[in-house]
Formats: sequence, structure tokens, C-alpha cells
Amino acid sequence: MTPKKFAYFAPASLKEAIQLLRVNEDAKVLAGGQSLIALMKLRLAAPAALVDITKTGDLLSYIREGKGHLEVGALTTHDTLERSKIINKKFPILSDAASKIGDQQIRNRGTIGGSCCHADPAADLPTALTALESEFVVRGVKGKRVIPQSKFFVDTFTTSIAKDEILTEIQIPHTPPKSGSAYIKHSRREGDFAIVGVGAVVTVGPKKVCRDVRVSLGAVASTPIRAKSAERHLKGKTLDEGNIAEAAERANEEADPPSDMHGSRQYRLDMIKVFARRALNLALSRAR
Amino acid sequence: MRLHKKGLSTLTKLVREEPALWMGHPLKRKEDRRLLTGLGKFVDDIKLPGMAYAAILRSPYAHARILGIDVSKAERLEGVVCTLVGEEVAKLTDPFLQISSPPANKLKDYCLAVGKVHFAGEPVAAVVAETRSTAEDALELIDAEYEAVDHVLDAKEALKPGAPVIHEEVGSNVVFRGKWDYGDINAAMKQADKVVKKTLHFHRFSSTPIENNAVLAQYDKATGFLNVYSNNQMPMFCIPWVSFALKFPSNRIRMVTGDVGGGFGTKIISYPYIVLISLLAMRSGRPVKWIETRTEHLSAANHGNERMFEVEIPVKNDGTILGLKVKAWDDCGAYTRYEPAGATIWAQVTPGCYRFKNFQMEFLQVMTSKCPVGPNRGYSRMQHLWMIERSVDIVARELGLDPTEVRLKNFIRPEEMPYVTPSGGVYDGGNYPESLSRVLKLIDYWRWRKEQVEERKKGRLIGIGISTILDSGTNNFGQVKITNPENPFSGNSEGARISIDGLGGIQVALGTSPQGQGHETFASQVVADEFGVSPDQVTVLMGFDSAVNPYSHQSGAYASRCAVMGTGALLGAAKKVKEKAAKIAAHVLKADPESIEFKEGHAVDRDSGRKIPLWQIGNIAWVNNVLLPEGMEPGLVAIHFWRPDFGLPDEKWRLNQTLTYSYQSHAAVIEMDPETGKFKILKYAIVDDCGKQINPMIVEGQVHGAAAHGIGAAMYENFEYDEDGQLKSSTLVDYLVPTALEVPDLVTESMETPSLFAPKGIKGVGEGGGTPISAIANAVEDALTPYGVEISDSHQNPQRIYELIVKKRKKM
Ligand SMILES: Cc1cc2nc3c(=O)[nH]c(=O)nc-3n(C[C@H](O)[C@H](O)[C@H](O)COP(=O)(O)OP(=O)(O)OC[C@H]3O[C@@H](n4cnc5c(N)ncnc54)[C@H](O)[C@@H]3O)c2cc1C
Repeated sequence: MTPKKFAYFAPASLKEAIQLLRVNEDAKVLAGGQSLIALMKLRLAAPAALVDITKTGDLLSYIREGKGHLEVGALTTHDTLERSKIINKKFPILSDAASKIGDQQIRNRGTIGGSCCHADPAADLPTALTALESEFVVRGVKGKRVIPQSKFFVDTFTTSIAKDEILTEIQIPHTPPKSGSAYIKHSRREGDFAIVGVGAVVTVGPKKVCRDVRVSLGAVASTPIRAKSAERHLKGKTLDEGNIAEAAERANEEADPPSDMHGSRQYRLDMIKVFARRALNLALSRAR
Repeated sequence: MRLHKKGLSTLTKLVREEPALWMGHPLKRKEDRRLLTGLGKFVDDIKLPGMAYAAILRSPYAHARILGIDVSKAERLEGVVCTLVGEEVAKLTDPFLQISSPPANKLKDYCLAVGKVHFAGEPVAAVVAETRSTAEDALELIDAEYEAVDHVLDAKEALKPGAPVIHEEVGSNVVFRGKWDYGDINAAMKQADKVVKKTLHFHRFSSTPIENNAVLAQYDKATGFLNVYSNNQMPMFCIPWVSFALKFPSNRIRMVTGDVGGGFGTKIISYPYIVLISLLAMRSGRPVKWIETRTEHLSAANHGNERMFEVEIPVKNDGTILGLKVKAWDDCGAYTRYEPAGATIWAQVTPGCYRFKNFQMEFLQVMTSKCPVGPNRGYSRMQHLWMIERSVDIVARELGLDPTEVRLKNFIRPEEMPYVTPSGGVYDGGNYPESLSRVLKLIDYWRWRKEQVEERKKGRLIGIGISTILDSGTNNFGQVKITNPENPFSGNSEGARISIDGLGGIQVALGTSPQGQGHETFASQVVADEFGVSPDQVTVLMGFDSAVNPYSHQSGAYASRCAVMGTGALLGAAKKVKEKAAKIAAHVLKADPESIEFKEGHAVDRDSGRKIPLWQIGNIAWVNNVLLPEGMEPGLVAIHFWRPDFGLPDEKWRLNQTLTYSYQSHAAVIEMDPETGKFKILKYAIVDDCGKQINPMIVEGQVHGAAAHGIGAAMYENFEYDEDGQLKSSTLVDYLVPTALEVPDLVTESMETPSLFAPKGIKGVGEGGGTPISAIANAVEDALTPYGVEISDSHQNPQRIYELIVKKRKKM
């Protein structure tokens, strides 16, 4: 199918882009187009105008050190994340997630910002970023504001970004030494959307005691969520197989998964436990 | 029998010097240069002056009465050329030809739904506009009003009294009911040490060609011709459907196909779209193009037959299978567009590769409110073969025998060839035990069996699955007389033309309408050998054009028939051309025509060694024709139609339903993750035997493609409907086609047992019989031995496997 008629703008600056979003009824940001164009071709979305932010002079593709956090530009592609040395070293959870998105063509064009703004609860990067307690920098007419992760994802396909705001950067707080992270997903084929996606970050204290732990789940609620009960269970305990398995048993308590042809609600509830355990073990194995 | 190991090594080490014979040579495909450089000529590449575009409105309901369709708003949209709705179609056309016997043949099928919709996705209205997107915009402006009525999604449910009747004019949902009964199944039951009973289900999937259906129709007012550019797989076979429906004379319908992005059977029943787009072209006075979307293709083009089986297998304790008693329910969806052919086609391979003589099949074909089925790689046989191969493994498990042992015990022996099956099939040679032993060696079966035991102790679940199936090819249309003796079809035929022009150029045209299989290549090889030239010197016309190519109304790319039928026709045409060329050469050389040979581009007199080049013969034949022998007709061209020796069904429905019976053995080693139900293939091996190979590289490609398709069906591809009759897998996000990452490395080996009946001993190849579907089902059940889980479905969905494990765990 072909999309409905739409206007296309390729503004030269972010400022102009924000203006275009403001004045054009029903305008949408176009980043990598890997979700938006597909929806438009199926006519599930029919924006009147697209504002392409990939051609502005403001470079939004970068990975750099900030104050206490790593800064990732919103237009950084999945492929760049997957291959970035600094990401691989500090946040393997993100390269895990990026490397399992769709296929290479999609990873070449799809962006971290687009994935977050699209807010598909089954998407991989939002789940991974949820375990990292990331923050989201958006720019609008009134300037810049920072949205904490807990406020960013509102509902399926809905974020707290206003219509005339643009996500410019994602800030990922550094984890303390002896932290490890991992993301794994259960999918039918390599690169399919998650039936269940689990992100885990653990920080190991003295005597292998769990100083901190965060477990995030994708595809099991209207937004990515944290498995708080599992986290509570593990925190302060020795990070051994038994405790991890026990915590994982609690990982589905906050979940409210949907059913579809690849996984029923019950199957997803069961798989959360399996993948939470595997993700925690993998994260722990990476804690250095 | 000649064995040659294939694989990458032979592909990279292509012989440069010319072989003595081109037949058997892994010649690079002639088609690939244009296809790989983007120069292929597909329907969507054609642009005719004044062309407009069509889009189709489809039913959102599985079963509903159409209360009204208001197109007035759509017609007012700027850029809209015309519209068409079902009621108009009912006036303009006749319902499509049906090949069922009464009362199922009363079914009224039109290119747009008339009065009622019968499945979600059925076309109800069409728009022609200046652009494709305007046509799609206009669809949104059509007000279609429906009244939903009860639908039925399950074949057994559809048989119950009070079930919704999909086509009232038929009176019930039954298309065909038939009983095949051979030997004495009751006696076999009495003799048996044990009767194994199982209920099995073969799921719905299809073939997902990379190019969807496409039609471009042009009604030429000046000549009165209807020119149809499409990617239909049997363009001349479907002429009766098109001509009768449109009430348009067949001798003014020109069917053209070009490059086609795969068909696999799914493009055989595209005739409703050919009729629809033709009607739109006539109504608008413009050439009209329609390119099917992927969602349209998945939800409404053609699904494979879904089938349920109740199986009873009388066996001896030593593993001897005494017979097979089966009841089958075949779900053919909402229309019979090639059916009930599928209700008999399975009987091409009634006993599979096995010797049992006692066989009974009660077969019911039933309509449901789902997408109509149509031919699909391995059509109707793969369901049957899956049932047999699953049954053999179940027998082995229940008797505590190794599945390979049961197979070896029951295989038809090579010395029994040609073997006549209970239903009259004549297997044209082969060595099934050898094929199985080779595949066991390739996969290292006995080492895996040991490893499996060791790994189980460590908690790893390894499964090994074997399957040997038949891949029958070149069908005898006489088999459709089983379902309706009145059907005016029997046998099979194909046409070829060879010409040598006045400059010595050799040109070949075939009726086979290729879909990507490499017909230009194989035909060049066959003809090159006949004339002693290189394949580069033989030009084969691409695609098909009924105004240019010779054809029979059985021409087309289906039933793994083209290599066999094409070669038969080519050899016949070559013989005619050579006979005439030899006479001309003999006349010039003052030699005996009998002693003329064709070598290195020349006609050579074997006796004197004198020769003349082909171009000189062509020159004399066409433009220097005073030099022709006295009384000889000018020209150097011949058309030949070839047909195999086929018969009709006898009173017990016995007949040889195909000419060739290739076979393959597959072996899969998998590792199961019992925590998720997901598994991966660790190793996969295939031994194929399709008789003499014309081009081993093409054969290997076909073997790989069929294996990938079967792996897809076994592990990923499934058409599932929700309770409302909506297809859940209507995009490629949910209809999961395996990619390069899912298809394991395939270790392949070939045997070459010449066909006893087909020209040059070749056999059809390419469908593969869905072998991986049973090899993988068998491997999954084998892996789950510690849980005692039984696999009764052809589709191995991780969730379902997981649930089976959980159920067993609870009992443990
Ligand atoms: C076949 C296929 C398979 C896929 N598989 C996966 C998968 O396995 N896992 C997965 O996570 N994802 C998957 N995706 C989605 C993919 O990750 C997309 O790239 C991503 O969701 C969108 O990123 P984009 O840059 O392409 O955004 P676009 O498609 O351009 O935009 C998406 C949405 O975000 C908005 N938007 C984009 N950027 C901004 C911004 N900076 N500020 C404000 N709004 C913005 C757009 O307006 C639009 O609404 C798949 C996609 C396809 C087509």
C-alpha cells in the first residue's frame, strides 16, 4: 500500500523543525522512518506533514561523556549503538538490545530516539533504557527540559513529549564499579519483536552481596516496566544461583501481558521468570 | 547410479573448458545476470501509455451479507477513473468454472463478492484511478454495509448439522467425499500385533513468493484483443476460466508473463484477479495495473490445504507396517478455485516410500470461512507424506524400535522398481534404503544417538529426526476425473519451438512460463547438446507470450514438470529441425542424410568428414532457398508437443498420477530448550535423487529452497485465525518467513537414479515434498523423549511445545 498524501519538510535547524511542528496541524517528526513509514504505508498512521530531523545542521548522532552520565544523541542509529566501543564496555545492555532489533537495514536507519518516541512496549531499547534509569532531553519552543524515565513512557505508543517537542538526547547515568548489565529477549526469529524482553543491571558489593539491582521488562505491559518485587528480593542478598532464581520467580508480579499468536498471557508470564533469571545471570557475569 | 558430492566447492570450481555434454553441467544460470543487476522484467516494470491503477476493497468480515456498497463518494474523488462492485460483476460475467461434481459445482464464484462475503479479505469492490495512492484513497470513501452472519473456521465444525453454510447454493460445506480402499485393511488389523492410533493436524501456511500477484490488462479496441500481462503460473491453463467468465473469445486473449518473482503454486489461482482487472480495463478504456500488497497476498491469495487425520496403523512387533487406515478432513477455505484437485493429488504418493498394500482412506474436503486454498509447493502430497512420516516415527516409538530401522524394514526395495502402488502409481526407479543410509552417514546419526544419551544426563535435550519422502512430478490431469468424471482434462502436454534463422542463430521458445526456476538455462543446455553448440549460442525467449510462444493448455510452471515436459518437447522439436537440416546439409555435401552429425556448430558428414556450418544451412533454408533440395519446404523451424504415456482412473480410482517420483531423505538434529519450548537446528542433511540432473547447481538450489520452505513451515510460518475469522498473521511481522539466520547450513548429497520413463532419465525436482516438516516434527518429539511428549501438529510453535512439557511435568 501507499501512504496517504502528506507534506514533507526538511528543516535546516532544530529550531525551524520545532516551529514547523507547532504550525502544522498533525505534523510528525521523521527520524529513521522504520516505524513511522511502515505505519503510514499500512495507513494506520496518516500524518498531514512529516518534519525530517535528519537533515538539520544540529548533529544529533553522538555518544559522549557528560556529567555523571553518558549522552546519546537521539539520531544515533541502532547499528552505531551496537558497534560503539564505549557502549559495549559501559552499557552492554544497550548493545545487546540494539543488536537484536529487526535486521541490518533497520538497524542502519532506525534511531534510539525514534524507538523511544514510538514507544512500542515490545521495543528493545526502551526496555533496556528503563533498567538504566535514563533521562530524556527534549527541546520545544520554550527551550529544553529533562524527563526522567519514569515519566517518559506513558502508554502504548504514547510518551510525555508534546507535539511540538523533539527528543534530542538520552542521558544514561553511570553505574558504580562492579556493575554488569544485560538485555535478552525471547522472540520467534532472530530480530523479531520480543515476546518478552528483559533488561538487568546489577551492582555487586563486598562478599558478592547485591548492592543494587534493576530489572526491566518489555512486551508485558503498556509500557516497559520494572520488576520491583524481584529487585527487592535480591537487593542485599548474596548474588548466587539460588537467590537469583528466587528473585526471578517474582519477576512477573508487576506484569500484565497481552496475548497474541506468538505468546499468550500465561506463556509470557512464565517466560518472564526464565528470561529474568538468564538476564540477571548474564549481567552478573559481566560485573567487574 | 552416479554419486557426486556437491556443495560450495563445486559451485566455486566451475569448469571453464567446455564439457563433452552440457547436460549434467553446473552452468551458471543465464537469467541471473539480468535478475542480479536489477534488469529483470516484472509486471510492475511495464508501463503502458495511459495506464491507470487499481485498488481493491476487501471484506472486513469472515461471513456477512452485503447490504449495500455506495461508491458515489469514491467516484467523485479527483483522479478516480471508475469503480466496480460485485452486483455489476454478476451482470457482466459468468461465475467461474467449477471442477467439483454436483452439488459442490453449483458454487458461484465471481471476481468480486456478490451478495455475501465468505472470508475476511475477499474482494468486494475495486477502484481505478490515475495513481495507485488515489485509488487507495478512494477505497476509504466507499461505504460498504454488511450484516455479519455466523462463520465457521474448522472443517469438522463445518460438517455439523446447523453449521453456517458458506455457499447456500451448494447446500452444505462439503466439496468432496471419497473412499479409497485397497488390499484388505480389516484383515491387516486382525493380523496385527498392535494397532497404533493417532490424531494429527497439518497446519495452514503458504509459499510467500518475493513478488506478489500482479496483473496489467489492456483491452485494445482497434484489434479487439485483450492483452493480459500477469505473473500467473499457468497462463494458458486458466484461459477457460478467464474466457468463460468474461464471455470473451479465447482467440483474442493474449497472455504474457515476464520475469516472475517465484510462484510455488500460489499464482495458479490468480484468475479472479485477471478477470477483475480485465473488466476494469474494458470499463475504463485504459490499461489498468494492479499489484497485490503483501497483506493482500497473505490474507487472500491462496493458502495451503489444512488437513486433519485420524490414523490407524496395524503393525507387527518387528516393525512391519501392514497397512494404513486414514480418515482425512481437508479444509479448503471459502472457495474451490483449484479444488477439489487437492482431494485426489495426495494419492500420487499413496503409500509414501513403503511397501504396505492394505490401505484405506476416507477423504472429506470441506469449506470454511477462511482464505481459499490453492496449489502450494508439495501440494496435497506434503500433508499426506507428513502424516505417513509422523506415523512411522510413532510406530517406532510405540514398538521401542529405532525409526530408521522401521523405515528400512518397510521401504520399497530398489529391485521392486518400477513399483506399482496400491492406487496405481508407478514409481519410476529409486533406492530408498540407500538414500536413508547416505543421509544417516552425512549427519553422523549413530554418533548423535550416543551423544543424545550423554547430553540428556547433563540436562541437554538433543533430538534427531529423519524423513524420507517422495517428490512426485509431472501430473496426469486424469486424476481430477476421480472427483468428477465429467472433467474434460487428462494427461499432460507441453510445447517447444526451435528455429535456426538465416544467419544460423538458434532460438528456442517454450510454453513453460518460468517463475524463476531457470528454464532459459536448462533449455539452452538440452538444445546445445542436440546441435553440438554451446549454451551461449542458444537463445531461449524469456517469459511467455501466447502470441509468440508455442503452448498447450497444460503449459505452465507447476507440478515439478518443466524440466521433464520441456525436455520432452525440446527433444521432439530438435529432432524435426535436425532431420531437415541434415537433409539440406546432405544435399549440399552430396552425402547421406543418415550420416550427418551436428558438432561444433557444423553439420558433419561422418563418412567423408566434410562439413558445412549451421549458418549456411539456415541461409539456404530461408533466403538462399533455390539451393534447397527439390520439393523441400523453405524454413528451418519446428514446433513439437510432447505428452507422456498416461491413463485414466479405473473403477477403483487406480491410475499413475504422475510421471516421475523423485525422493529425498532429510535428517535434522535439534536442541530443545525445555524452559521455553524453543529449539534450534544443530545440523541438517539432505540426500536427494531426482534422476539424471540437467544442471546440478539448479538442482541444489531447488533442494535448498524447498528445505528452507519446509523449515519455515515447521518452525515459523502459520496462518492462524482469531475467533472472529480475522487472519492474525497478515503481515510479515507475524507471518514469519525464515531468513538466512534461521536456515541452517544444509549438508547435501545427490544420487542420480535415472527415471525409467521420462526423457533422458530426468525427474522433476523443486517441491521437496515438505520433508523438513516431518523431519523436524520427528526431531522435536525425539528431543522430548524424557517428557514423553507427543507431537501431533505439523507446526512447532514454542509456546505449544512449552505447554506440552508443562502438562507432562505436572504429571511427573
Ligand atoms: C521489520 C521491522 C522489525 C523491527 N524489529 C524491531 C525489534 O525487534 N525491536 C525493536 O525495538 N524495534 C524494532 N523495529 C522498530 C525499529 O526499532 C524502529 O527503528 C524504531 O522503532 C523507530 O526509530 P526511527 O528512527 O526509525 O523512527 P521513526 O520511524 O522515524 O519515528 C518513530 C516515531 O517516533 C517519532 N520520533 C522519532 N524521532 C523523534 C524525536 N527525536 N523526537 C520526537 N519524536 C520522534 C516519530 O514522529 C514517530 O512517531 C522494527 C521495525 C521494522 C520495520
